[in-house]
Amino acid sequence: MDIFLERLFDGVTNGAVYAIMALALVVVFRGTGTINFAQGEMALFTTYVAWALTTQDVPVWIAALVAAAIGFVLGAVTERTLIRPVRRRNDMATLVVALGLFTGFNALAGLLFNSETKTMPSLFPGGESDYVAVGGARLYWDALGVWLFVILVIGAVFWLFNRTRLGLHMRAVADNPESAALSGVPTGRILMLGWGLAGIIGSLAGVLVTPLSPHQLSLTTMFPILIYASAAALFGGLDSPIGAVVGGLVIGVLEMMITGYVEFIGGTLPQTAALVVIVLILLFRPTGLFGSRQMERL
Amino acid sequence: MSLLEVTGLTAGYGPARVLHGIDLTVDDGEVVVVLGANGAGKTTTMRALAGAIPHQGSIVFDGAPLTGLRPDTIVGRGISLVPQGRGTFSHLSVLENLRVGAARRRDKAEIAADIDRWCEVFPRLRERSGQEAGTLSGGEQQMLAVARALMSRPRLLLCDEPSLGLAPVIVAELFRTLAEINREQGTALLLVEQNAELALGIADRVHLLEVGRVVAAGPVAEFRDNESVRRAYLGD
Repeated sequence: MDIFLERLFDGVTNGAVYAIMALALVVVFRGTGTINFAQGEMALFTTYVAWALTTQDVPVWIAALVAAAIGFVLGAVTERTLIRPVRRRNDMATLVVALGLFTGFNALAGLLFNSETKTMPSLFPGGESDYVAVGGARLYWDALGVWLFVILVIGAVFWLFNRTRLGLHMRAVADNPESAALSGVPTGRILMLGWGLAGIIGSLAGVLVTPLSPHQLSLTTMFPILIYASAAALFGGLDSPIGAVVGGLVIGVLEMMITGYVEFIGGTLPQTAALVVIVLILLFRPTGLFGSRQMERL
Repeated sequence: MSLLEVTGLTAGYGPARVLHGIDLTVDDGEVVVVLGANGAGKTTTMRALAGAIPHQGSIVFDGAPLTGLRPDTIVGRGISLVPQGRGTFSHLSVLENLRVGAARRRDKAEIAADIDRWCEVFPRLRERSGQEAGTLSGGEQQMLAVARALMSRPRLLLCDEPSLGLAPVIVAELFRTLAEINREQGTALLLVEQNAELALGIADRVHLLEVGRVVAAGPVAEFRDNESVRRAYLGD
């Protein structure tokens, strides 16, 4: 029982991070119509910046905020300078640019911060004895901290979407870009802000997940996160923010249960399992659980 | 000087040119109808005026040139388009659709008052205010599209075939409302229609469009008596 509960807690913690990463992917997809494969590597880059700040004795919370701010700028500038010019011509080109950015940001991080593994401090106290016992299992404070933080991020994003003018305009552009423009919505600026918002969310996912990651901060830290987040977004429906959250939790828990209970998969195959999930969803329910728009190209 | 003055407007899609130099005017508070067969370039004209497609030629509105401006900027200048096929936001509620229509405005209290006013004019919208627009009937969606366009307080409202796909009773009601809006708000109307009988009923002037050119223009009375117009558009 307790081992099951601990796996469940770990799964929810990982899943919470996948959920907000998936949310970032959904925010971009709703506006631009493609998955931003560079989202993970953008987050990797900003997490390195946060790490570099902490080595200069900047408090980790401040470093996380700076990373989020840089994430916003990176996302917005990428949309404005790289995505918008090619998107007008060809949708496939958008995808190629995203893949180019994927390798670009990774290489940039390697160039600036070298490829040695770093230890990223956690936002929450994470000692061996910082836990509460729940049903005979240990629920660590840092896991609880991640849950709480993710709930806040998700709450903020839903508040933005449903309670603010900017969010209304984002939803209008996602629903019908031409009508939005004809109603007076500056669609270009809205798309740019959407990429910026995704940049913020992704950066926060980065600083949350690296202290939990067994390999800490290295150039490959964010790649599996992006794979799981993509699976989560596809599972929930690429244009559904609620779907991203549910999908993230499901994938996170599935990952832990599969590595824990299915021996032949072990520690290295769960990413493949996630990809199998993607393929199965695309086969049987192309719009995902909560989605309405299906992936037209990939 | 007219409110809207269009001279030598050309536009098209890719290499295919649809408009070959349109000349057209709308005066302040006037109702102008553009008649034309399928493919004459009616929708293309409207989309060019709203800035939705690239075009050449001169569009002057209220003394200022509009050519090259983005659609959202043009809305800010006082022109609003009710697109063909309504173009409502199907996953947004009726109320949210109306709020998006006020995207260029900041006067919160006045926006709320306008939403109230248009819900009075179109009572069905109030009944369905919380419903997703995609669940509305065709007629209700058309009313929503008109109300949404009016939320920007335009001086010129462009309507692209508002009667398309609607039952005759609904169409008659819609035209009555459009005429009322024109009378009470002083909003100038530029209507594109295939339903000539109804459109002529509320119009001051007519432009006749044939393969991308305006071949005739003048007061409604002249057209009602014109033999070829009666045959082509009024089914006599």
